[in-house]
Amino acid sequence: MLEIRFHGRGGQGAVVASELLAQAVFFDGKVAQSFPFFGVERRGAPVTAFTRIDDHPIELRSFIEHPDVVVVLDPGLLRDTPVTGGLKPGGLLLVNSPQAPGAFSLPQGGTLATVDATRIAVGRKVGTATMPVVNTAMLGALARVTGAFTEASLERAIVAFVPSHPEENRAAARDGAESVRMEPVAPSSRPSPPSEEAAPLPFPEGPVASLPSNILHTSSWRTLRPVIDRDRCTRCNFCWEFCPDDAFDFDAEGFPVVKLLYCKGCGICATECPPDAIQMVTEA
Amino acid sequence: MGFKVLSGNGAQAEAARLARVQVIAAYPITPQTTIVEALADMVASGELKAQYVKVESEHSALQVCLSAAALGARTYSATSSQGLLLMHELLHWASGQRTPMVLGVVNRAVAPPWNIGADHADTMSQRDTGWIQFYPESNQEVLDTVLTAYRLVEDPEIRLPAMVTEDAFYLSHTFEPVDVPDPKVVDTFLPPKDARAILRPGVVSRLGSFTGPDHYVDFRHQVAEAMDRVLPKLQEVESEYARRSGRDLGGPLVGYRTEDADAVLLTLGTISTTARGVVDELRSSGQKVGMAKLRVFRPFPVEAVRALARDVSRLGVLDRSFTFGSSGPAASEVRSALYGVPSPPSVTSFLAGIGGRDVGPKDLHRVFQALLSSRSTGPRWMDLETDGGVVVHG
Amino acid sequence: MAKLTIPREELMYSGHAACPGCGPALAMRFLLKGLGPRTVVSVPASCWSVIATPYPTTALGVGMLDNAIEATGASISGLRAAADALGLEDLNVVGFAGDGGTADIGLQSLSGMLERRTDALYVMYDNEAYMNTGVQRSSATPQGAWTTTTPVAGEARGKLEPKKDIMAIVLAHHPVYAATLNPSFPEDFVRKVERARGMRGPRFFHVYAACPPGWRYDSDQTIELGKLATYTGIFPLYEVENGQLRITRRMGQLKPVEDYLAAQGRFRHFSPEEVRQVKEQAEARWADLLAREKATSTPAPVREVPPAGAPAPRPSATT
Repeated sequence: MLEIRFHGRGGQGAVVASELLAQAVFFDGKVAQSFPFFGVERRGAPVTAFTRIDDHPIELRSFIEHPDVVVVLDPGLLRDTPVTGGLKPGGLLLVNSPQAPGAFSLPQGGTLATVDATRIAVGRKVGTATMPVVNTAMLGALARVTGAFTEASLERAIVAFVPSHPEENRAAARDGAESVRMEPVAPSSRPSPPSEEAAPLPFPEGPVASLPSNILHTSSWRTLRPVIDRDRCTRCNFCWEFCPDDAFDFDAEGFPVVKLLYCKGCGICATECPPDAIQMVTEA
Repeated sequence: MGFKVLSGNGAQAEAARLARVQVIAAYPITPQTTIVEALADMVASGELKAQYVKVESEHSALQVCLSAAALGARTYSATSSQGLLLMHELLHWASGQRTPMVLGVVNRAVAPPWNIGADHADTMSQRDTGWIQFYPESNQEVLDTVLTAYRLVEDPEIRLPAMVTEDAFYLSHTFEPVDVPDPKVVDTFLPPKDARAILRPGVVSRLGSFTGPDHYVDFRHQVAEAMDRVLPKLQEVESEYARRSGRDLGGPLVGYRTEDADAVLLTLGTISTTARGVVDELRSSGQKVGMAKLRVFRPFPVEAVRALARDVSRLGVLDRSFTFGSSGPAASEVRSALYGVPSPPSVTSFLAGIGGRDVGPKDLHRVFQALLSSRSTGPRWMDLETDGGVVVHG
Repeated sequence: MAKLTIPREELMYSGHAACPGCGPALAMRFLLKGLGPRTVVSVPASCWSVIATPYPTTALGVGMLDNAIEATGASISGLRAAADALGLEDLNVVGFAGDGGTADIGLQSLSGMLERRTDALYVMYDNEAYMNTGVQRSSATPQGAWTTTTPVAGEARGKLEPKKDIMAIVLAHHPVYAATLNPSFPEDFVRKVERARGMRGPRFFHVYAACPPGWRYDSDQTIELGKLATYTGIFPLYEVENGQLRITRRMGQLKPVEDYLAAQGRFRHFSPEEVRQVKEQAEARWADLLAREKATSTPAPVREVPPAGAPAPRPSATT
């Protein structure tokens, strides 16, 4: 049995990816089981989905704790989500990234693979520029690097089940398969840092939440980041005023400063800025 | 204060007044209506200083109490039958949000067909909502139970909601003398509600919240643990009430002539009174029988039932409602409580008094004879076994 | 730094779980700026019950009470009753519910709260569909709009029925104050909140709350879309105080509705005929508002019956 865990963000299609994968595996004559974990269903919020593939009926219904493959639809998640948690030694990590596999690390050893699915999705006009839907490009890459399902079945599943722009998605899957890069990594001699155990929370009687939400950081939701040009800024405060995330502060001179821990990259500030002093740039 | 002749509904209203409730949510339903009418009069006359909120449904009635209690007010509302069923969703909110509150419920049959007679299907359907449930048998007990319930639910170790029921008409509209305690006595027993509310102006807190599988189970378990603390706490509360009022409510299971009894019948609500009389009659004719009133159905008094069953060979459980596909709800609880007990008694499920069918001494004699003689464990629908007796249709 | 035109104090915390570009998040932010810290907000199942973040965190710097989806009106009646019983007369009691929780399943509870003249503010943030469950139509969804339960395929052309007129329903209850608000106009928004805060009796806000994923537009366009909604006459801004209607954003000429419709994927299938209908409705709505404003320009008799003890207007919150 092959176990795959997807990490993505709401709107990128991680859940649909696991569903399409199940369909492709079915076309191959094998058995698949795909299911999402529903947390906060928000565009941009981290989401997880699981897929199991086997030749026989799967006698198991639970989360995948020790996947053979981890698929990361957004490299931003690597910043603060432990995506490789539980990945089997010798397992595969596939990341949506323009960088070479060597740019990432896999201390337990295994295979690193990267594919620039965002560029493919934007090029093939799948999704929008601010929220490209990268799932089909990622699946094409996954088919190529794992061989767990055929690219022909994947394309058949896309054409049959992707509701809008199936041909563009099929092309994206093909691009993904053609451009994925992979390289093996030996286990690192350095022991990996112990995984962080979540500290037990003091439980009050009853569901009473009293910690401010600003201890949570939403920077990983972002694909674009606002950059302020101080020479053009007139300190009119429109960026602060219209920010749904209260992600602006002011410096001593009254210039706006982006609170990058909270900015989700919606782009309202750039659109509303009267002197066009804010540009949205792609997150590295 | 002394005695007043009160209906069960009047006793509910008197108790709410004595408890100095601060917010009342009112919506009419037969046979509860006279409770909220009496409270309206008390508020209008200035006898009771409370916010009287006239709502447009029972669902809103309970929400008014939930939100008012969240801000720290002592609340009261009353309902019956369909109204309680409409509240069902919010009953879960009350326990889940750990909202101490007391709700009066006049036990009435559930439609269809429409029927306003006494029947426990309304409250038994709420068994799993995390509410404490009391089933008094007299108007005195109604008043005393409401007062002790407030003290119990507001205890920091409990903080759960409670419903105090009364059988439709047999209590709700039955007038009898009730010893109404002096307000000073009640004020000492039941001080103003702890003002340390969860929601306070200027305090950052969210009551309710949402959680994934990570924390949800902790909150469920807290409710379970609080429920486990109810019976020991009730003993403390009732002892203090007995000291102050001179009346002992007797705990969750009140036995009568159960010593050396071969057969004991468990009852809920008003049938308990008649059953006590029948036990006396049977005892005087030499039959070794007893009865026990199940005052508290949630939490279920497992230990008390086991203690009662220790020297009894036959237990009957008389329910005023039925769990379709199973038995009387109290009967299945009793059987479950006795599982694993060495040489347990047989447990027979009897149904009687459904939809307001009258249950008199003659009917209870038949129940005891069946319990003593038959090997069947039921369920037996005694309302349908007339034995040539007269069935009153009305 | 230019002078701020809305209060600086933030009572909504960052880190919340709203989608990028979320209109309801801005609505809450402006609402709390206008209300100040002596506020408790009752929130039913809706986007905001999730936006406020999971236990043990909360996104509101004031008290928040979760309630069942259909019970917001009753919840604020209960909060008000308790506040009055406990001597917290200065507490701002607010319900903050979506369009489904207000105009559909919560309509009875809203009507009850208005009819019993609860001294509280009910806010309906209108993102025009059940967005928390993933874009299903509500009675507040505009006619013709695509949602997942009103698909556009074959003969199906989105939602068949016109949008429910919640303001007309609310005004039939004669609230002391009712207004339409739009986060694209922050000064008008906060001014209306401050105005409502000083009043006693039932008050209602209908808040335009743009939703990038549900309406299918890019998240940076939230403010622009909101401006268009008002300038085209699709969501005009006005307030009604004791029966007197006043338009708070006056337009000489309505902008073409095409600009508004074309910006959103949910209307992308509209034919010229469907666009024309929206235009006619917007013009009729605007003409009706102008006529009602004129007709009610003389003060109507005061309908509000002060509660016993006739409390003074609430003191303004210190921000």
